[in-house]
Amino acid sequence: MADIQKAQIEGTPALDGRYISEMDMWPLECQEFNRNYQFYDNLREGRFTTTKCQKCGYIAFPPGVICPKCWSDDLEWVDLPQRARVVAFTETQAGAPIGFEPPLIMAWLDFGKDSPLKHLLGRIINCPEGKLKEGDEVKFVVFDVPAHPIEVKRETKICDRVYYAFEPVEKAA
Amino acid sequence: MAKRTNAVILGGGVSKFGVRQAHLLDMIQEAAKACSDDIPALKPTDIDGLIVCTTLAGRHSNALNTAPLVVHRLGLRPTSICIRLDTLCAGSNSGIIVAKGLVESGISDIVLVTGAEKVYLPQRWETNYTQLMVNDHDWDSAMGLGVPPPFFAMIARMHMKRYGTTKEQMAHVSVANYNYGSTNPNAHFYPRTLTIEEALSARLIADPFTLFDCCPLSDGASAVIITSEERAKDLSDRPLVYIRGTGQHATHSMSAGWPGETPAEWPHLKKAAEVAYKNARVSPKDIDVAQVHDCFTISQIIEMEELGFCQKGEGGDYVASGAINIDGERPINTDGGLISCGHPFGASGARQSLELCKQLQGRAINQVKDPKIALAHNLSGASAQHTVVIYGTEPVE
Ligand SMILES: [Zn+2]
Repeated sequence: MADIQKAQIEGTPALDGRYISEMDMWPLECQEFNRNYQFYDNLREGRFTTTKCQKCGYIAFPPGVICPKCWSDDLEWVDLPQRARVVAFTETQAGAPIGFEPPLIMAWLDFGKDSPLKHLLGRIINCPEGKLKEGDEVKFVVFDVPAHPIEVKRETKICDRVYYAFEPVEKAA
Repeated sequence: MAKRTNAVILGGGVSKFGVRQAHLLDMIQEAAKACSDDIPALKPTDIDGLIVCTTLAGRHSNALNTAPLVVHRLGLRPTSICIRLDTLCAGSNSGIIVAKGLVESGISDIVLVTGAEKVYLPQRWETNYTQLMVNDHDWDSAMGLGVPPPFFAMIARMHMKRYGTTKEQMAHVSVANYNYGSTNPNAHFYPRTLTIEEALSARLIADPFTLFDCCPLSDGASAVIITSEERAKDLSDRPLVYIRGTGQHATHSMSAGWPGETPAEWPHLKKAAEVAYKNARVSPKDIDVAQVHDCFTISQIIEMEELGFCQKGEGGDYVASGAINIDGERPINTDGGLISCGHPFGASGARQSLELCKQLQGRAINQVKDPKIALAHNLSGASAQHTVVIYGTEPVE
């Protein structure tokens, strides 16, 4: 408990830890902050999901609490395709955001014409610089990201977090 | 509410853009001072409406409800409107759209639209954290899509693949804009000029972009006065510059909702422009001079296409043809654009619109010959939203 509180109030390592930065790179995923926590719970089970409207059938991404087509709140969770093709991509040489290790590879992904999610700009990980090619197949992958503490009834609760990206199906030799 | 008058842009002022040793409110005071110098008959207490356009004020200057702070520092006494507005990169052109509606409906008489950002923090890398907040934080930004170069680099690669656009064509944009900006003392990179060879041989930022394909982030502020044609005649002898038509359109917040077939097509800009052209009763061929959102060279190329200045896919040829130069068919970004002026998000729109005001009044530094109709454009964030404002020397009807 004492260690956690210390972690909360420490400044950034720069400027001798005296300069306080409050930015969080990741979503607040837990139930206390987010009605779409199911998305992240599903990630933990290796599922890439979103919400489908029971009234009009529209599958939205990102998921939500209402359907953006008809504003119905009668929704269900459905699975999305986990494989996509790289249409175009870029590898960042300089200026990747803090916390993202270079090479930061972003790809315009095509999930296929039958997918409710047609395209997404996705991060490609587990791929050395210079190895990705247009047309490569990539697959969904889930990984841990830093947890955060929250205060719940004067107790500190740790919220574990996960996030997702894509990786080449055929690992570069 | 019936339209009671025609709104005009009377004049304005811009602070020095760049990495400034100044607070947000210092720079707003500088822009207001420059605005006052531009319109000597205007008294601060004449201003009855204030729209403060800023995105980073909350995080970087700890100033969330920014408008009352500006009221105090500028000695204003607004009675019709006193708001902060955030549309990121389009901030103060959005403010001008709102001000036009307020003036033409009779709600406001004289509106000050000011845009300002203090971008740089004591630790410059922290600015890259903030960039994760200005797009869709939980979805795109958590992927690493927060800093603009990778996103626009991918757009450039897609445009090169689909339409044959080349790095050299992109360099024509940076060369034109640096050279325009070399005469603008307020520009971030004043008095830097640029050659095609320098542009092509600069260090790589995100393939295919080199350093000069990208606009810098900048600290800075701008201010313009929007009022009725009647009040304008009381305050100034200059030719009137009417806000003829406006359009603003958004379809999505993150990459999954992209409205085009690929990121090289921007139908949401085409739509915003169509609305603005219709309201202004003009067509693309009528635009004599324009200020477009050149956050990256590829942005300006795609904007030439979607604004209807050339056919889709021919933006590269268009910029390389010399059409955008001062002696070309349609000079673009005649004060240096974002690439040379820099980009303090909320301040850029009014900086662009003030340049067009000066062009239509015949008093710009890089003066275009006798322009009648002018267009300003901004995109916001990762091309999430497009804003178009069309000015003219005559009112609609
Ligand atoms: Zn629905």
